[in-house]
Amino acid sequence: LQDIRNTVGNIPMEWYQDFPHIGYNLEGKKIYKPIRNKDELDMFLEKMENPDYWRTVQDKMTGADIKLTDEQVDLVHRLQKGQFGDVHFNPYEPAVDFFTHEVMIHPVTNRPADKRSFIPSLIEKEKVSKLVHAIKMGWIKPRKPKDDTPTYYDLWAHEDPNSILGRHKMHVPAPKMKLPGHEEAGAAAPRHPGVRPALPTPVPSIPQKLAWEQQEPAERKLNFVPQQYRCLRAVPAYSRFIHERFERCLDLYLCPRQRKMRVNVDPEDLIPKLPKPRDLQPFPTTQALVYRGHTSLVRCLSISPSGQWLASGKDLLPRRSDDCTVRFWEVCTARCMKTVPVGGVVKSIAWNPNPTICLVAICVEQSVLLVNPCLGDKLLCGATDQLLESYVAPEEERVQPVQWVTATVEEHSKGIRLVVQHSKAVKQVTWHGKGDYFASVVSDNSNMQVLIHQTSKRWSQNPFRKSKGLVQCVLFHPIRPYFFVATQRYVRIYNLLKQELTKKLMTNCKWVSSMAIHPGGDNIICGSYDSKLAWFDLDLSTRPYQLLRHHKKALRSVAFHKHYPLFASGSDDGTVIVCHGMVYNDLLQNPLLVPVKVLKGHVMTLDLGVLDVLFHPTQPWVFSSGADGTVRLYT
Amino acid sequence: TPCAGAVTALCARRYAVEDVPFSVPAASETADLSHLINKLLAAGDADHKYVEFDFLINGQFLRMPLVTHMEMENISTEEVVEIEYVEKYMAPQPEECIFHDDWISSVEATEEWILTGCYDQTARIWSLEGKSIMTIAGHTEVVKDVAWVKQDSLSCLLLSASMDQTILLWEWNVEKNKVKALHCCRGHAGSVDSIAVDCTRTKFCSGSWDKMLKIWSAVPTDEEDEMEEAANRPRKKQKTEQLGLTRTPLATLSGHTEAVSSVLWSDAEEICSASWDHTIKLWDAETGDLKSTLTGNKVFNSVSYSPLCRRLASGSTDRHIRLWDPRSKDGSLVLLSLTSHTGWVTSVKWSPTHEHQLISGSLDNIVKLWDTRSCKAPLYDLAAHEDKVLCVDWTEAGLLLSGGADNKLYCYRYPATASDVGA
Repeated sequence: LQDIRNTVGNIPMEWYQDFPHIGYNLEGKKIYKPIRNKDELDMFLEKMENPDYWRTVQDKMTGADIKLTDEQVDLVHRLQKGQFGDVHFNPYEPAVDFFTHEVMIHPVTNRPADKRSFIPSLIEKEKVSKLVHAIKMGWIKPRKPKDDTPTYYDLWAHEDPNSILGRHKMHVPAPKMKLPGHEEAGAAAPRHPGVRPALPTPVPSIPQKLAWEQQEPAERKLNFVPQQYRCLRAVPAYSRFIHERFERCLDLYLCPRQRKMRVNVDPEDLIPKLPKPRDLQPFPTTQALVYRGHTSLVRCLSISPSGQWLASGKDLLPRRSDDCTVRFWEVCTARCMKTVPVGGVVKSIAWNPNPTICLVAICVEQSVLLVNPCLGDKLLCGATDQLLESYVAPEEERVQPVQWVTATVEEHSKGIRLVVQHSKAVKQVTWHGKGDYFASVVSDNSNMQVLIHQTSKRWSQNPFRKSKGLVQCVLFHPIRPYFFVATQRYVRIYNLLKQELTKKLMTNCKWVSSMAIHPGGDNIICGSYDSKLAWFDLDLSTRPYQLLRHHKKALRSVAFHKHYPLFASGSDDGTVIVCHGMVYNDLLQNPLLVPVKVLKGHVMTLDLGVLDVLFHPTQPWVFSSGADGTVRLYT
Repeated sequence: TPCAGAVTALCARRYAVEDVPFSVPAASETADLSHLINKLLAAGDADHKYVEFDFLINGQFLRMPLVTHMEMENISTEEVVEIEYVEKYMAPQPEECIFHDDWISSVEATEEWILTGCYDQTARIWSLEGKSIMTIAGHTEVVKDVAWVKQDSLSCLLLSASMDQTILLWEWNVEKNKVKALHCCRGHAGSVDSIAVDCTRTKFCSGSWDKMLKIWSAVPTDEEDEMEEAANRPRKKQKTEQLGLTRTPLATLSGHTEAVSSVLWSDAEEICSASWDHTIKLWDAETGDLKSTLTGNKVFNSVSYSPLCRRLASGSTDRHIRLWDPRSKDGSLVLLSLTSHTGWVTSVKWSPTHEHQLISGSLDNIVKLWDTRSCKAPLYDLAAHEDKVLCVDWTEAGLLLSGGADNKLYCYRYPATASDVGA
């Protein structure tokens, strides 16, 4: 056998893939790869034909094919089985004990013991001294006695005992079942004769039973038909008990229960934060004076611009003819200073707001009387008369919707100076701030409802061509040439200079009863018969800025104070409610409305309470006139 | 629990007891204490008659059990407390009820006569016995205030102010019982609500609804002041009808923004005026300057000044009577409020002889007699009127007068008005 030992060593033979040789032999000559010119087909044929193909292996080092001998094949087989390569090697030979467990009389070896077995060890001594030194220095602690306490700990030590954990936090208790009642107990069992039955017969009649059967099981009020038994002992066990328990369990298991999240809001927080009434003083709080003298309901009030005199007019046809009067009172003592008989129902009364004129306009039936009460400064009263007398009739007669008549001598002695005769009953009169013009409202359906009169020229005109509904009341703007007309549901604002409609306010009320304007002129309030009070901020919107529902019954009258931030409303429920109504000069700040006081005192008469309210021009006092025939002053 | 109390006599020498501390039961009331004092007095003086006493602790009247009072006043019951006692004021004795034809707006009385102003446009003079002596008619409107100027045995001068914007100066001949209008004081442009005569009796001041105060001479003369007439005003027959000679004001004080409701002379040269504009103003009568202003928060109806205690008392359109110090510079400090009325206080009047006492009339029909040392409750309620009380007066002789809307003038005799200070 040729020794073709390769000298390349244990290297991957792929390195020689691209070379013709495969390594070097001992002499340093190249070992050439055997010529392999067999193709796939030859290889296959050889595999099929050569019986020794299975024992032919390729030597990687030389590339030569080697045919394994039988011994080599055996060896391979044994190695594959995990056996030793040598056939003759027995791995399980019986063991021979060299040292036996039996004590022998002779030593195994005869060697004498070493000297070092008899002298103390120097190394040990060094080690011991080192340890001793370390213990002395405290570097080593002597062994501590073992702690015998058991080493378990409290798993829940750091947990808040009050907190409810996960699943329990979301615990929703099962809905309670209805407790069994009379029906379940065989309710109609005849009772003891002396005992009154607790229920009328709960046993259903036949049509009821039929109806029960036709119902869906889920819709039935009771899931069984109550039956009558002779006595409680005869009531049988409930046959559907297990079934119903099971259904209940299914319900609890399958039907998701959910906690209803209620928003926990303190109702106090929802109330807007308003200042306390006592911080908003002064405002009227107590009844101070009662002006007695009228015999039936006092419809209207008016106060002199100085605040010294009060005029009140009586509504309702009197039983005696001499009883139709307008009374003038001294404010501070409730003394009736003057009584002017007017001979008719007084619907409205208005004192001339001009402090240099002493004149009162009074609506009596179909006419407006201009009365000089001759109260206050004599000079002014005289000047007023002079002013009225200085009228010179125009040369050509003008057609007027009303008639101006100078009072007769008898009327003149009573104080009446002029009579403006309308065609229909007049229900309201109001002065313009300058005190020359006044407007009157007539109960009518035509366009003649509102008339504007000029006192100095005795000239009346009808400003409207068309009727826009039943006019309730009219009002002049205190500063600008605006005119407010309140119909049942709307308030229209007209510009008197341009003669056009400026604005239309929706009151959101069914029937407006009264109207008042803030002395600043930018806010008005409307009272209505459906017991609402609407505050309008004219700069803000044509809808109410606030709708106050403090009264229980219809509002009859509303009023603003001239200087103090107060307004009041009188109602059929017999009360006057005074509110603080602060209007700020700052356009960005909305008015502040706070109800401050409910004033009671008027006695309900004919289902009517307060008919008119009025503020004193300078003091924080409010007057109210009532159906009980009194006028009351609250301060 | 007993509490120690040193009972000291302030009342009078004849009621003095030894100044030894006594232990007094805490629950004892005025009557018990009064018994105690009387016992002590009876022990010292055999012929002692029972006298009722009133008790003061630190200048406050005792009106409830001792312990309650001391709790309220925060006085310790452990210490010795000085309790002063004075002879109990007798209740005012009703004397006369004088009927008028109409509401009584004002009253002023002297030692002999009572002068009232009435809503029937007259002023009336009555004797103290209630006999009508004179009816003075001349005004064309309600008489709002009256005042005596001067009295002697032959003739008296008196004033009446009215809503007809004039003040009339009358001379009343007592012997002949004749009255004559001397002067008609014209110048106000509103109802004259209040007049006050100064201490020299030569001038008087008037307050009116036209916001003005005017000072006039009260000396009768034979000359007529020229009245400058407004050009547009017609010379009416009013001029010829007018009573007496026209008189114009010496000075006009303006400064109030509302009606003047009450005026008085607090000094020879100082006028005090109360107004509806919530102020009391003090004026220098000589120069007409505003000296100081006391500001309240309600309309003032009436004001009264006591030279004894130098305090102003005011009645306003609420339930309270307020006491003011007119000399305080900060202006608006109320010293004390007396609250018991339930209506407007229309009229207040200090006692001319007692520094602590005043009376007040109110719209609740009651006249109350007050002691400022008992500010929680009045000494006496005089509830005779059936309607609003409009005016009260207090004379030096100890007569209390009140008139009202029930047309009646009530007179009360109130003897114990001597000031007990220093006795």
